[in-house]
Amino acid sequence: MATATATKRKVRINGCVSAAQAAKYADVDVITAYPIRPYTATMMALAQMVANGELDAEYIVADSEHSQLSIAHGAASSGARVFTGSSGVGVQFAYELYSPISGSRMPVQMMIADRTLDPPGDFGSEHTDALSTRDMGWLMGWSCDAQEAFDNHLLGYRIGEDPRVLLPQMVCQDGFFVSHITSDVELPDTGQVKEFLPPYKHPYPLDPRHPVSHGPQIMPEQGPPLQLERARAMEGAMPVIEEAHDDFARIFGRKYDPWLEEFMTDDAEIAFFLQGGHGVTARYAIQHMRARGAKVGMVRLKTIRPYPTDRVMESLSRFKVVGVIETNMGLGSVSSGGSLYAEACAALYESQKRPLVFSFMAGMGGEAIVLKEFYWMTNKMLDAQKRGKIEKRTHWVGFEE
Amino acid sequence: MPAIEVQRQTLPMLGSPNQGARFYNPDLPQTEPFVPGHRTCAGCGPSIQYRMTSKASGDNTILVGPTGCMYVANSSYLCTPYNVPWAHTQIGSAGSFTAGVAAAYEAMIRKGKWKGTFPNIICEAGDGSASDIGLASISGALYRNHDCLIICYDNEQYANTGIQASSRTPYGGMTTFSPPGPMVPEAKTLFPKDLARMMAAGHPHCYVATASVGYPIDLMNKVRRGLNHKGASFLMIYTPCQKGFVYETPRSIDLGRLVVECGLYPIWEWNPETREYDYSFRPQSMRPVSEYLKLQGRFGHLHAEHIATLQKFANQQWEMMGVELPEALLRATDAKNLVAMASAEAAAAVAQTV
Repeated sequence: MATATATKRKVRINGCVSAAQAAKYADVDVITAYPIRPYTATMMALAQMVANGELDAEYIVADSEHSQLSIAHGAASSGARVFTGSSGVGVQFAYELYSPISGSRMPVQMMIADRTLDPPGDFGSEHTDALSTRDMGWLMGWSCDAQEAFDNHLLGYRIGEDPRVLLPQMVCQDGFFVSHITSDVELPDTGQVKEFLPPYKHPYPLDPRHPVSHGPQIMPEQGPPLQLERARAMEGAMPVIEEAHDDFARIFGRKYDPWLEEFMTDDAEIAFFLQGGHGVTARYAIQHMRARGAKVGMVRLKTIRPYPTDRVMESLSRFKVVGVIETNMGLGSVSSGGSLYAEACAALYESQKRPLVFSFMAGMGGEAIVLKEFYWMTNKMLDAQKRGKIEKRTHWVGFEE
Repeated sequence: MPAIEVQRQTLPMLGSPNQGARFYNPDLPQTEPFVPGHRTCAGCGPSIQYRMTSKASGDNTILVGPTGCMYVANSSYLCTPYNVPWAHTQIGSAGSFTAGVAAAYEAMIRKGKWKGTFPNIICEAGDGSASDIGLASISGALYRNHDCLIICYDNEQYANTGIQASSRTPYGGMTTFSPPGPMVPEAKTLFPKDLARMMAAGHPHCYVATASVGYPIDLMNKVRRGLNHKGASFLMIYTPCQKGFVYETPRSIDLGRLVVECGLYPIWEWNPETREYDYSFRPQSMRPVSEYLKLQGRFGHLHAEHIATLQKFANQQWEMMGVELPEALLRATDAKNLVAMASAEAAAAVAQTV
């Protein structure tokens, strides 16, 4: 351990408070809030920290999510470290801003606690809210518990603010499963955070002493070079992400694979491919099914943007059957199920050994995926393995015999 | 670490505020934060306003430009008319982006991350942004009282997209979204949203004022008063658009005075200390609205009764300002005393030519 850990302490908090704690440790300058469940609890916690004098930041109650993201954009453009967040339709209300923020290369951080989109006003977690913005140039990934959420928020700032990257980050967690379930979280020593996360310094902020123009109108032929730069920034983030995770492990003592969590995959013949909080229940279900002889494992995608195509290909090619647990809507998409199926299959296309792939519509509407459903999906996969083909691509779990 | 106190600027007022545009004031600042070489039309009212505003504000300034003419026609990638920092933002983000800049400087100065005097933060929103799509964002910024100045450069239409009606387009104003025709002879049937008064009424702690490019010193002083006011300020400035109003290019400043002299653009200030309107500004003369209308092609289709309707509207504005109406203006509210625009001697252009 490189730094003194005298003030390190364990607390029992939920994912929302964990994200707020991370923002506090990152000493953010500007916070913009707008209420929508379930992420609101993060902003409630931050409001109290500011009121208590634990954190010196401008706390702005915005008039909408669109304004929230615009305030974040303006503040980041001026050189401030910014924290914001949303859930569900709130994420959609701000949609216009996602491309301008990444296009102007402002490393705004946004906490997402997923919520289904309307209709009809379901509070439960589905990943569609954040996933619908996945191609807007934001670094994006899901945490599966409160500790990982805390860590991913610090990692997000470190990666996004790196001058080689300069991209905004969506740090996502499942609504309720992560955001409202308490677990043990180790809060670090501020010295560790200082060592890991240098102060935010944008190379071209709006500073009257060094005038710059941000976002002028361009001619059609000037657009593609800028888009290419943004695409390169996303690709160039990959080594920076790995470097940041190595430093994180060295300073905080928690080592994560930045791309995939593999669980009991060494001898697995079939595997689930998923994101976020359902990974926790999947681990339990897999142990249960393994005790009854099924050679099943799990690959949990930790970072979806930038997408670790080669890692996903190498990992999933080892299995006979892959079951994608979607937790998102891809109406009329490739599989007519969710959008994660297309991400998995596209990564497998160049593989010499392609597994059969299912799209499982499970955990929809914020329902927990129960053990019985893991068994049902596993049986579908085992049956496909035996027959060497799938009967159909997409299954709505719980709606079929 | 103890918080560092934020130092703010105080800009001096200029003399002779009620003079017309051709009056030379030697106290005018030399600085030009907004330089020539941009792509706005000849005689562009908004860009004349931009120069005056940024001159009044000086070099320790940050400009925010929501989408509109003053974004598209001013900035061209690899070429910029701004000698101070400027950022584009979305058309609906006028107040919110600006609030972000102000909040960032409050925090950064307080926390010792930026050293210097708090900059003048000015948002230049068109009337489409300010009165329609960005209204809520501006209201939010005013309500929260960020230390910034939000300007609505009011050319009474969406000009950048090719002249469409906004909620600031006057009654009778022809745009491509409000064309005249047999079913709608007056073109725009609705009266403009009283934006500045709405901002004053809803955010009485803010400095709110109206101004016109026809009165540059008054305009620049209002910019400075808005900036000196600690907290949020809102200015609505009349800025004629040659392309949309269809008038002879050199007459922009004339229109800026005529619109006030005809009572169609009351010039006033809202004082956040006394919570009162100041209606003491008086143009040098009062005229019937037809003198303003007849110079513009966008009103070329108006019939006598439409002009009478506009005169009634103007008279209400005069009365609101506590001005006693001369007999000629009362007479002009009767269509029998008026002629249609198409037959008016000095009609500058025909509506259909836009």
